[in-house]
Amino acid sequence: MTRAAAGVPRCAPRGKRGAVATSGFAYHRPTTLREAWRLLAEHPGAALLAGGTDLLVRIRARELQPSAVVSLRSIPELAGAAAERGGGLRLGAATPVADLLRRATVVRRYPLLAQALRVMASPQIRNVATLGGNLCNASPCADTAPPLLAYEARVELRSARGRRELPLEEFFRGPGTTARRASEILTAVRLPAPPPGARVLFHKQRRVHLDLALASVAVLLRLQGTTCRRARLAAGSVGPTPLRLRAVERFLEGRILTEEVAVEAGRLAATAVSPITDLRSTADWRRRIVEVRVRRALVELAGLERAGGAP
Amino acid sequence: MTARRHIGKATPRPDGPDKAAGRALYIHDLARPGMLYGKVKFSEHAHARIRSIDTAAAERVRGVRAVLTARNTPELRFGFLRDNLVLKRDKVRQFRDEVAAVAAVDPEAAAEAVDRIRVEYEPLAGVFTPEEALRDGAPLVHEADPQGRPRRDNRVPLRFHHESGDLAAAERASRHVVEGTFSTPRIQQGCMGTAGCIAEFDRRGHLTIWAKTQIPFLAQRDFTRFLADLGLGERDVRVIVPTLGGAFGSGLDTHAYEYLAILLAWKAGRAVKIVYTREEEFACLSPRQCTVTRIAQGCDAEGRLTFRRVDVLQDNGAYTSWGATYPSVMMVPVTSLYRVPAVHFDAQIVYTNNTYCQAMRGYGNPEVNWAIESNLDDLAHAAGIDPLEVRLRNCNEPGEVTPMGLKVGTCGLRECLERTAARLDWPARRAGPSKPVAGVGTGKRRGLGLASLCHVGGSGRIYRSDASGVVLRLDDFGFVHAHYGGVEMGQGLHSVLTLAVAEALGVRPEKVIVGPTDTAHCPWDVGTHASRGAFMACTAVLRAADELRRRIFELARAAYPAEAEAALARHRRRDPEYRPPDFDVAEAARSGTFELQDGFLFLREAPPEPWLRVELARFLRAVHFREGGEMLSAESFVDPPTQLPDFERGFGNLSAAYAYGTQGAEVEVDEETGEVRVLRLVAVHDVGAVLNPQTLAGQMYGALAQGLGYALYEEVLSERGRILNPDFRDYKLPTAHELGMPIELEFVEPDEPAGPFGAKGVGESGLVPTAPAIANAIHDAVGVRLYDLPLRPERVLEALRKRRV
Amino acid sequence: MKPRKTGRGPATEPRASARGHTPRASGKRPTTTTSTTTTTLVELVVNGAKVEVPVEATDRLLDVLRGPLGLTGTKEGCGAGECGACTVLVDGRAVNACLYPAREIEGRAVTTIEGLGEPSGALSDVQQAFVERGAIQCGFCSPGMILAATALLAEHPEPTDEQIRDGLVGNLCRCTGYVQIVEAVRTAAARRAGGGTR
Repeated sequence: MTRAAAGVPRCAPRGKRGAVATSGFAYHRPTTLREAWRLLAEHPGAALLAGGTDLLVRIRARELQPSAVVSLRSIPELAGAAAERGGGLRLGAATPVADLLRRATVVRRYPLLAQALRVMASPQIRNVATLGGNLCNASPCADTAPPLLAYEARVELRSARGRRELPLEEFFRGPGTTARRASEILTAVRLPAPPPGARVLFHKQRRVHLDLALASVAVLLRLQGTTCRRARLAAGSVGPTPLRLRAVERFLEGRILTEEVAVEAGRLAATAVSPITDLRSTADWRRRIVEVRVRRALVELAGLERAGGAP
Repeated sequence: MTARRHIGKATPRPDGPDKAAGRALYIHDLARPGMLYGKVKFSEHAHARIRSIDTAAAERVRGVRAVLTARNTPELRFGFLRDNLVLKRDKVRQFRDEVAAVAAVDPEAAAEAVDRIRVEYEPLAGVFTPEEALRDGAPLVHEADPQGRPRRDNRVPLRFHHESGDLAAAERASRHVVEGTFSTPRIQQGCMGTAGCIAEFDRRGHLTIWAKTQIPFLAQRDFTRFLADLGLGERDVRVIVPTLGGAFGSGLDTHAYEYLAILLAWKAGRAVKIVYTREEEFACLSPRQCTVTRIAQGCDAEGRLTFRRVDVLQDNGAYTSWGATYPSVMMVPVTSLYRVPAVHFDAQIVYTNNTYCQAMRGYGNPEVNWAIESNLDDLAHAAGIDPLEVRLRNCNEPGEVTPMGLKVGTCGLRECLERTAARLDWPARRAGPSKPVAGVGTGKRRGLGLASLCHVGGSGRIYRSDASGVVLRLDDFGFVHAHYGGVEMGQGLHSVLTLAVAEALGVRPEKVIVGPTDTAHCPWDVGTHASRGAFMACTAVLRAADELRRRIFELARAAYPAEAEAALARHRRRDPEYRPPDFDVAEAARSGTFELQDGFLFLREAPPEPWLRVELARFLRAVHFREGGEMLSAESFVDPPTQLPDFERGFGNLSAAYAYGTQGAEVEVDEETGEVRVLRLVAVHDVGAVLNPQTLAGQMYGALAQGLGYALYEEVLSERGRILNPDFRDYKLPTAHELGMPIELEFVEPDEPAGPFGAKGVGESGLVPTAPAIANAIHDAVGVRLYDLPLRPERVLEALRKRRV
Repeated sequence: MKPRKTGRGPATEPRASARGHTPRASGKRPTTTTSTTTTTLVELVVNGAKVEVPVEATDRLLDVLRGPLGLTGTKEGCGAGECGACTVLVDGRAVNACLYPAREIEGRAVTTIEGLGEPSGALSDVQQAFVERGAIQCGFCSPGMILAATALLAEHPEPTDEQIRDGLVGNLCRCTGYVQIVEAVRTAAARRAGGGTR
């Protein structure tokens, strides 16, 4: 194993870069954003590839027929994570999920995100799939979305003409559609400093361990004593996009967390989502899952089961 | 009898190292010079008239070598009832119907050509449930039978029926009667290696086909007949089975893609390979049968069974495979699991426009076991008797003859039940009501359940022959080459075959080489199904090895002394001081008793001198390389003492032995979400003697995993005939995590006289009772009875809601 | 167990049979295709040896391995990253070769099942443990499973059962129920830790 891995340069596109006409599309591996933008301009209908775990399958299945593929894997500034002024963290959009999980800053300071990344797909996919790719696919069941929504993450979009930033919540427009313009590249996800002392819980409802979320819930709470000072909740697979559960947040903030409050929060969450029935599950059941999992998360995070005196 | 040296010892399988090294060659890995790639154009409708097929654009694709449709091909029928056409002519009856096929120089060209075939359809109304299909005036899936006679309805002309005892009287006399209707879904066999074949004609016109099959010889017969139908009579067909990549019943039939590969190879004059993609495997290969079972069982005040009434409705899909005969096996548990004095069984098999179904591991048994064992728990509750106690009171016993005429030899069911119960701590745990799991608002309850099975364990005659044979050939180096016509599909057949040869002949397992399964080299075999592989292989080996030993010992009378003298001479060269004991080798060889052990030939009465133990290889060379020389081989062909039952009357001793078992489960049910977590599985099986504990455990664990998937996760979903989840994303196989609960295996080992080394066949047993054991545990936990598999949380929650109402 | 055939050449070696009839392993696909294609030469290290292979835009690492390189030990089970049969190591990390764009393999080091163990033919400790513990049945998932286990043990030398199952969750097996596979991984880990068999 190590024999093969020894002494190999990690990221080394040598020489043979650029356009190659192939059956249907050209594959480009730019090494700078500038080059990538130029390629996007030259090839309307080009597809961006980050990890490629989703794109290549769809192209081969002829679901997508892009005129060109522009790979973002050789652009150094899209990878890695960096601390930001004010205590936030900037995550390069093309960083593989597994790399994020290897970073102590991510795991320690953003445990809610780490919980979600750990149950995303399989180890093989986590080694390749990227945060940016997961978000740009804009699947309602994207595992990274609910925790990032709860952290109130922002996405950075850059094009040759400039840079803009959006709250992640505004990035998602519907299943498979985002606010990204064709000329833009999602370059980074920016996380504000995590609320100090926050308690977090991510729950992914799945049939078997390797599964897309049938429903997911991310809960972030900051308590002062038993009073909820801050609540951030988001859910996946229960609407056309991943959702912030603002009504629940408003209900919880400033309240003393009791079992009754948790029950009511669960109920509110269930009414705040709009799941559908599809072959993976039913709208009813998904709604029930959101209700139960939000309630249980609150009970667990607030330590209410111990207060209830159960062993 | 001397202690066994190999049988019964945990031994790694001989095919393990090459498989671990990635060197085993599956159909996907094989190629022939100049080979073409075939691709099938499937129907886009569940039921439609074919108006026209335009292949002009496909033929223009570069690299395309052959394009076939029913328009340029004779009408060619295949299938268990010959109701299927290799290429559909006038209409399609299911989404996966084959309307055209292409061979091209690479897979991309073949795929592109298939895309460019234009078919015009006139959609027809379809029938998508058996109930719909049986309605008066329902659209006919087949307007005529294969002989061209008009059909009046959608019933498949196969009859399976059984009546015994006075059912009406028994029903009247019952103190308690419980009824229920239970359903089971289509299940994907889920072979990790998808289906495929390579067909090639040599220049004499003979056909070789590398096929992913469990029935090389019945396939050979099918293909031979096919060639004759094609006007190519008198051709040899050779079927070679590559490393299989899983089968689980999917290889019990020949498939349209195989016939298409043959046709394309014939047309193009080149080898043609067709391999299914995963999506095709899901959408275009037949899944497990889909059933609805109506059951009623009754008992007296003491819980003794009075009668059992079972009516099965089976959704055949559009064509008929061997798997349509599931009811032939359903009869076994229906008539013979527990003692029932009066039994009614009837099966109605119905054509629909759904994907046609085929065999899968267990072959009908899990389908009815689900009904019998779930319903039996309900009966126990109705009678106020513990479910374990009811089963013990009705337990089968060794030596009994059941209403179907099954002659039970050994039967360890009572012990299976008792040991399962003991492991689950049943009496104490079941005493009180189910226990909620601690914690506020967890809404979780735990429960225990169990279920048993009986299944064929000594082969099973569902065809005119139930035979298997083996050839054992000794070479000049002391290796034994075994050629067996059954199929190693991962279950460990070659492992037990190796151990059986070593044990029965007296050689080391390292010296046993199992050859590839190839109709050109192996004796005829009916197929690897009905848990018969190990049972029949070992039975055949015992006979052939016996003959070889007899011949070796016969030759040894004259040839052994010279070999012993030569060995003595060699010994003396190493040790000049050596003084041999006073032992007349020639005389002993004339009258003594020979033994062959670990590859050494010796006289039982001889002193323990090493030179008196003659290496088998030297002995074999001595009898080979001489005037009038001889090489040793033996072939045995065994047709076991099984009966082809009269299925319309439901009577006949299908198998030479019967396997039993009980499984127990502890579950935790989340009453708020309907989720079921299996906390523990116990499986105690009557397997006869254990041949290789390691491969046996592998069979049981694997079967339990399939049983768990059947119980909780798996279902081929379809909507008006279209498969909705043709991938692992939405067809959920259990992962390593789902099997993370403690699993306890235990074996009850009666010495089965009909079985080789006392063994029974057990390849299927392990998945049969898993689902009802889990469902019974759910009932114990939360008091709801579930009727439809899989036990998805949505269904469990629905049942819990109804309970509250 | 005595290996039947020695030597560790690529799986493309033709094999002898009675009728000269056994198919060879698939080699490079014929190059006649339907549309004009231009290929790119990509250089990579496979099982320790530097190689250059022609790659098309739609090719996956899996196509390169099984096609021009003749490394058929890497299996295609689903082509969608859902079964793990095609797992290989890229720079030591487990990936699905069916999802990995071949163009991205430039300059990287790939380990396939053929690259485990010793050139003499001896199996790696993980392969050996799989064989000894009965973790292999039909064998189709085994190469991918073994590579996933190899990566797992590199990251967690003394894994808990939970970590083993996490590490193997992307590899489906229909035959074994995973029990003996998990045992094999435990065994390999224990031996590396010097604990002998377990």
